[in-house]
Amino acid sequence: MEIGIDIGGTFTDGVVISGQEVLKSIKVPTGADLSLSIERALKQIMKGVKPEQIQQITLSTTLMTNLVVQNNLAKGGLLLIPGPGANPYQGKFPCVYKVLRGGVDYRGRIIEHLEMTEVEEACTYFLGKQVSQVAVACKFSQRNPVLEEQIIQYIQEKHPEIRVLASHKVSGLLNWVRRANGAYFTLTTREACAVFQENIKVTLKKLGLQCSVFILKADGGTLPLEVSLHYPLETIFSGPVASTLGALACTEEHITAVVIDMGGTTTDIALLLDGKPLLAERGAFINDYPVPVRSLAVTSLALGGDTPLLLENSQLVLGKRQGPALCLGGPLLTVTDLLVYLGYSDIASPQLIAAQVEKMACALQLTPQQFSDQVLALLWAKVEGELEKMFKSWEEEPAYRIWQVLSTQENRPQTMICLGGPATGLGEFWRKKKGWKVIIPAYASVANAIGAALAIPTLKLELFADTERNTYTTSEGGRQGVLSASLKNTEEAKEFALKLFRQIARERNLTEDTAWETLYEEGFHLVRGWQTTGKIFQIGLQTVPGIRAFLKEEAPYV
Amino acid sequence: MSKTGLVFFPAFDWAISPTHPEREERLLYTRDQIFEEGILDQGRIIEYKPRLAAEKDIQRVHFCVPDLAAQTTTAHFISAGSALKLGDALMAGEINNGFSLVRPPGHHAMRVVHGNRGFCNINNEAILVEYLRKKYGLRKIAIVDTDVHHGDGTQDIFYHDPDVLFISLHQDGRTLYPGTGFVDEAGGPGAYLKNINIPLPPGTSDEGFLKVWREIISPLLQSFHPELILNSAGQDNHFTDPLANMQVSAQGYARLTEELKPHLAVLEGGYAIETALPYVNMGILLALAGQDYSWVIEPQLQKQQIKQSAEVSRYVDKLITYWQKILSQLPPSKEELYGQTSIYTNQRSIYYDTENIREQQQEYLHYCPDCLGLYQVISQSDRTSGRPGYLIEGISIPIYACSACHEKGYQLWEEAKKKRKGHFCYLQDKKEDRYLVHKVI
Repeated sequence: MEIGIDIGGTFTDGVVISGQEVLKSIKVPTGADLSLSIERALKQIMKGVKPEQIQQITLSTTLMTNLVVQNNLAKGGLLLIPGPGANPYQGKFPCVYKVLRGGVDYRGRIIEHLEMTEVEEACTYFLGKQVSQVAVACKFSQRNPVLEEQIIQYIQEKHPEIRVLASHKVSGLLNWVRRANGAYFTLTTREACAVFQENIKVTLKKLGLQCSVFILKADGGTLPLEVSLHYPLETIFSGPVASTLGALACTEEHITAVVIDMGGTTTDIALLLDGKPLLAERGAFINDYPVPVRSLAVTSLALGGDTPLLLENSQLVLGKRQGPALCLGGPLLTVTDLLVYLGYSDIASPQLIAAQVEKMACALQLTPQQFSDQVLALLWAKVEGELEKMFKSWEEEPAYRIWQVLSTQENRPQTMICLGGPATGLGEFWRKKKGWKVIIPAYASVANAIGAALAIPTLKLELFADTERNTYTTSEGGRQGVLSASLKNTEEAKEFALKLFRQIARERNLTEDTAWETLYEEGFHLVRGWQTTGKIFQIGLQTVPGIRAFLKEEAPYV
Repeated sequence: MSKTGLVFFPAFDWAISPTHPEREERLLYTRDQIFEEGILDQGRIIEYKPRLAAEKDIQRVHFCVPDLAAQTTTAHFISAGSALKLGDALMAGEINNGFSLVRPPGHHAMRVVHGNRGFCNINNEAILVEYLRKKYGLRKIAIVDTDVHHGDGTQDIFYHDPDVLFISLHQDGRTLYPGTGFVDEAGGPGAYLKNINIPLPPGTSDEGFLKVWREIISPLLQSFHPELILNSAGQDNHFTDPLANMQVSAQGYARLTEELKPHLAVLEGGYAIETALPYVNMGILLALAGQDYSWVIEPQLQKQQIKQSAEVSRYVDKLITYWQKILSQLPPSKEELYGQTSIYTNQRSIYYDTENIREQQQEYLHYCPDCLGLYQVISQSDRTSGRPGYLIEGISIPIYACSACHEKGYQLWEEAKKKRKGHFCYLQDKKEDRYLVHKVI
């Protein structure tokens, strides 16, 4: 049996799943203390369940989101070694920083050495500003980490009071701004993450649970709790991931659909393509700062059941949330009220708000039916606008190889999976208007916890090997090293990549036989003076994305 | 915020041959530099997916002998299509300018294509120009070719077209492939002084490069009033290029781009794939996006002097004086240039370096007082190892042809077919966007 827990802004949901069946589900309000909320949810869900029956717990937490988005971070700074290129002072960095001399090029060759006096000056500057956590980021440090390492070593020796982290340890992504920001956020959230982890361990002990614990990642995979401490950023934005995977689990393996999760205040839109959630093209942003995290392409609209219907200059407009629906004691007529009025929702009696609906319709010189249609059309126009943008960005994903240009995108989805209270009624409207197939899963209200429970570990490895310089680097896991034997051809390079892949997989508690697939494999001849002097290999491998199981119970289709 | 479109198509799975300069590795380090900088995350630069050009887009420009399939690979369709993709984005107002950072290049490909010349089979900029004119009704377009080699293909295609101002600055043809691009190649009788060559001496640096831009090209563009400016952005004027002898730096290229303000730049040559391309491409992209490029300094730059000699400066000044004088005078009229004859004829021999083909051409331009007039070409390629020679005739009806010329074009086409001479006849009707091929034998 597996447990899935999803901590949302308002509610914490939990499920116990055995094979393809949901045995139990709970919903408790989320408190201010996350660890306590998890404890409460676990306690409730464990009632009547023997701890030894649980093989695994997967948590989807808002810990990182809360820390980072609300800026509850330790005070940190950045040391930047840009070398030639764009002006580093125009880069998007979330904290104080100092730019140093020094440089590494794309092949990992040092083109300018450091001036240690500059490092010393920077330390004095940071200490003067009470900044005692410093991340170090050099352009192309994933190809050669020496300059970053020299700075780390210097600071550790001369200023042990400053905690340091090198960007190449956090990510090997080819994007130094993202690596720099990733190192900064990792460093400044580390303590809070460690405390959280300890709290979870204590809770588990209290409940007698000895199973392994995983944390849901932004890309739809999971990480062991202990490993997540090193890569805390990867666990950010897991909420929409949980509900998208949950939607998938409630349908079928190769589904292509739009997933709409509508809550009180926001609506999340995601895409499932042939059973795989669409990932954001370049990666995640935190408060507009790019970070080295693969995340789902999710669009959030400030639109939900509590969105009030207002009249502005005799025009119908959608306002900002002022409180719950009128029928639930709120101040204004909302989308939920309209759904109740139309009979799409039975959370309250339509009589409660009929007079208000008719009054507003009358003010607009419309019949209540025309008025309702107008509200729903307005709502869907916003969703449709976002959908169009998402489809377009999916279809416009860059391609750097002929075969990628030739593999045209599949047709756009014609199926919609609706999650969340208000989505049910709206789905019906969409089906009538657009002729789409609309699915409302039986477990729609706890789909997120189901998604967490059924997520599987993921790993993506991109190897870059240069046989002329005899070096290699990997993206995830941030490994660099010397090639012990020269790689002669793409097959050998792939074999080597697979070896590294399995090593990292073991560290992340993935089993030996985890299914993997090749994303790309290519070799470049290095020709200098008309002679082949070496080769550069690029190999991309990843675990086959998906979920552990699909729920047996047929979802009721609208 | 102004937006810059980027199509980046390094064709990591295409090469002319494994050790050829035009191989998979060429844009690898450019990719590394652009991605590593993180500038694609800032929202100013929008990356577009490359697309394929249609066959018609290529036929609008070229007579491919014997057919399109023989002269193109999928990579060529994508390289040309990428420029069209940005053209559409520009016309739709999604972007203010764009950079088609693609391989393979195109500016040596002429109207008639018997094979690969200077690593080019089809001409990406010319295909873009004709596409924009056909689809959006644009008329006056200027192309500034900043590749170190003379843009002889683009010159050939627009030599008789007064609506396209083609300006090529390059290393002197006496010292570099393709051996053309002298000042006296100034356009056909109907388009005189709409083809401007600026052959620079070896050793010209940023100083001379920018000086000819400011003193010849810039005023010329201003007086032409183009609706659109394109840049054939070759990068082999760089001081480290292995195939040429100039002294231009990434700063020089970025500065020129900033001042030229091309609507669309299309990559051409440049084979210093490590020492030049990552930096020059970065410089051009930043300049297009209106961002600071002053930090784009090649690591080699400190070690090498790139100041041009006094002799080079004197030569550049003479060149500037020459062009300023010519351009300040009233040019002779079309009628004066045709003189007594109503058909302008030209005979020439063209060499295809990559494939060792020699082509003999007779060109005919029919005088018309109302439009560009019909273009007719008879071309024969010699037989080389593994390739038969072809004799072809091509007839081209210009896009803004008068109805008399349009009709006459079809008469010539019927006559050509009746001659039963050679292997193929081609009709290029740009006005109706119709392209016909007739197999003679």
